[in-house]
Amino acid sequence: MTATARTIGPSSRAEDATQESQVRVVFRRFRRHRLAVISAILLLVIFGASLLAPVITTFPRDAIDVSSPERPAPPGTVSRDGRMHLLGVDHLGRDLFTRVLYAARVSLTIAFLVVLISETFGSLLGAVAGFYGGRVDMILSRINEFMLTIPQLPILLIISAILLKRDVVLPMPGFVSRLLSALLLAPEREAQKVVVLVLILVLFGWLSAFRLMRGMALTLSKQDFVEALRAAGSSDARIIFRHIVPNGIAPILVSASLNLGAVIVLESALSFLGLGVQDPTPTWGNMLDFARSYMFKHPWLPLVPGIPLVIVSMGFNFIGDGLRDALDPRLKR
Amino acid sequence: MTSYLIRRIFQMALVILLAAVFVYFLFNISPGGPLAGIQQQQRRITREDLARLRTQYELDLYWPVRFSRWLVGVPQGPIVLAGRELLENTPVGCYMPVYEAESSGLQPKIVGCDDYVYMSELPELHPPVRSSNGILRGDFGLSTVISRSRPVSDLLKSRIGPTVQLMSISLLLSLLLGVPIGIYSAVKQYSKFDYFFTTVSFIGSAMPTFFFALLLILLFSVFPVFLVDTIPWVPRLPPGLRESVRSYEVATWLPTVQPGSAFDQFLHLLMPVGVLTFFNMAPWSRFVRSSMLEVMRQDYVRTARAKGLYERVVILKHALRNALIPFVTIVVLALPGLFAGAIITETVFAWPGMGRLYYDALQRSDWNVALAFIFITALLTVIATLIGDILYTIVDPRIKFS
Repeated sequence: MTATARTIGPSSRAEDATQESQVRVVFRRFRRHRLAVISAILLLVIFGASLLAPVITTFPRDAIDVSSPERPAPPGTVSRDGRMHLLGVDHLGRDLFTRVLYAARVSLTIAFLVVLISETFGSLLGAVAGFYGGRVDMILSRINEFMLTIPQLPILLIISAILLKRDVVLPMPGFVSRLLSALLLAPEREAQKVVVLVLILVLFGWLSAFRLMRGMALTLSKQDFVEALRAAGSSDARIIFRHIVPNGIAPILVSASLNLGAVIVLESALSFLGLGVQDPTPTWGNMLDFARSYMFKHPWLPLVPGIPLVIVSMGFNFIGDGLRDALDPRLKR
Repeated sequence: MTSYLIRRIFQMALVILLAAVFVYFLFNISPGGPLAGIQQQQRRITREDLARLRTQYELDLYWPVRFSRWLVGVPQGPIVLAGRELLENTPVGCYMPVYEAESSGLQPKIVGCDDYVYMSELPELHPPVRSSNGILRGDFGLSTVISRSRPVSDLLKSRIGPTVQLMSISLLLSLLLGVPIGIYSAVKQYSKFDYFFTTVSFIGSAMPTFFFALLLILLFSVFPVFLVDTIPWVPRLPPGLRESVRSYEVATWLPTVQPGSAFDQFLHLLMPVGVLTFFNMAPWSRFVRSSMLEVMRQDYVRTARAKGLYERVVILKHALRNALIPFVTIVVLALPGLFAGAIITETVFAWPGMGRLYYDALQRSDWNVALAFIFITALLTVIATLIGDILYTIVDPRIKFS
């Protein structure tokens, strides 16, 4: 909850009393959306658990438990060395609770990275396009329209199929892969592949932010106060960053929250189809892919990664809904 | 209007061309390729063998030549103009490349060429086969993996039927369910009915398709098998494919199902149609609802009520017709799906349709098939967008294009 307030804080430049209370108004309105609050709490729990994954579970991520009585084994199985597998073990004998936690790390990291990059990138491009208009706007808008027209899922699938089948690792600065491998608690080589997936998802991720910010910039740039700012000698960059972007932050926040849910679903769909994150890096999607082959004998298996996936996806949607009500009551559906 | 149409069609052609170029390039510039595996497996492959293999995949040709052959089917040989052969000595590729001596890895670097392919050699090295007129002329080349050396179009033809069947049933059902639900939710706003379907459509927008499909399989195929001894009347649905191979029991109160019978096909359709209908219906009913709510606030609806018309007439005649205007575009945009199918749903239920074919093509690197799918889907989507825009002006005369 405080996280929500904090993200709104800086953008509204909360300094004087009236501004401060506006944050509180938003906070109060958000609290009124009961499902959004519940989702926020559930999501915080899942974040916390995934952050503390190595502390919570004693099993290493890829360790195969040879003393497990069967593989896959149902939740609560106690292996012969006396250790219990809370959610059972998978077909190779790896502890599922551990893998679900690490998968949460992977899925959430990917979703946050994709949304962060694409909302920033999209809204900056949108602000520039809407503010300057003319040829810049035309080219960017055409590209945007083009991307919206072509069917998304098949294109995403073929791109990741091409890149994955050929084991492409994009050249990237070392700190990127090191940072990511620290976030994912995975070897750098796996982290590099995740970067490829993130970029693939950004390809279509920036579209909505671009359109939102462009529309906002288009109306704002025609208003008198922008003219006044120009007359007073403000630079274009200052007008864009201090006046246009903050005005568009509210809808961008809402769309970012909804996009988080969408990206999680998309990533897990790609991984489910074997064209996203690859084993041994766990994600809910590729865990479901394995579960599919064993579900006829072990029907609980798909539920283990599936339930957290649904909670997180719905959670982000509810929070987006709550944020929309809180930030702009006019948009209430 | 005419100039608008001409401009739009021109733009459309450009979009399709761009999409084709984009996808084609993507897998021609990225490392690897059909020969990577062979080179890795058989290290002692001779240069001659390699050259023959390269020819088989047209890799001996330069990429612009290859692309042009893929797109429009030329050049097949020297251009014959007024009885004279032109460009016959133009090199169009390299039969015997020189590899960098010390290069290893997936793809050795090519540094030179010992034997060029000239335009005059094209008909001999790459004799025109069936389906080599280029995709712009409706030929998608040959499938390389899924069904060896058969034209891609044959493959597509064998898969289009099941996809059209699946998609048309589910589109029709989503319309028949989604529109009335949307109308009723709007008319009875904030009622229990409205809240219920708000929740349902919310689930539809947040739930991953494949997990929903897996849940259905769990519920209707897996659990009933576990219950077969205790509650034998619970029906068990087949979890995939289009029809069964042998006869099976659905439930105690139903006769044994014969493979390939109409009832067998019906049972196989149930779950995939259910999934697709759910995921189409959810956003559609929301759309109709919000569009209806907006229209019902308009003055002419109040006027219609003030005239003393029956509420039914007000809603169905005055409000609904206007509310459905923006909905037309959305439905039209769903039409390319009739061809493209649903990749995820078809994959989960092993439905032998286009989406599943595309997935197989990607998994097994049958690029001609994958490219054909992408190309046709892009084409249909662009056409659907255009039709949607035109329909919009027809149903709503207020909108003018300029």
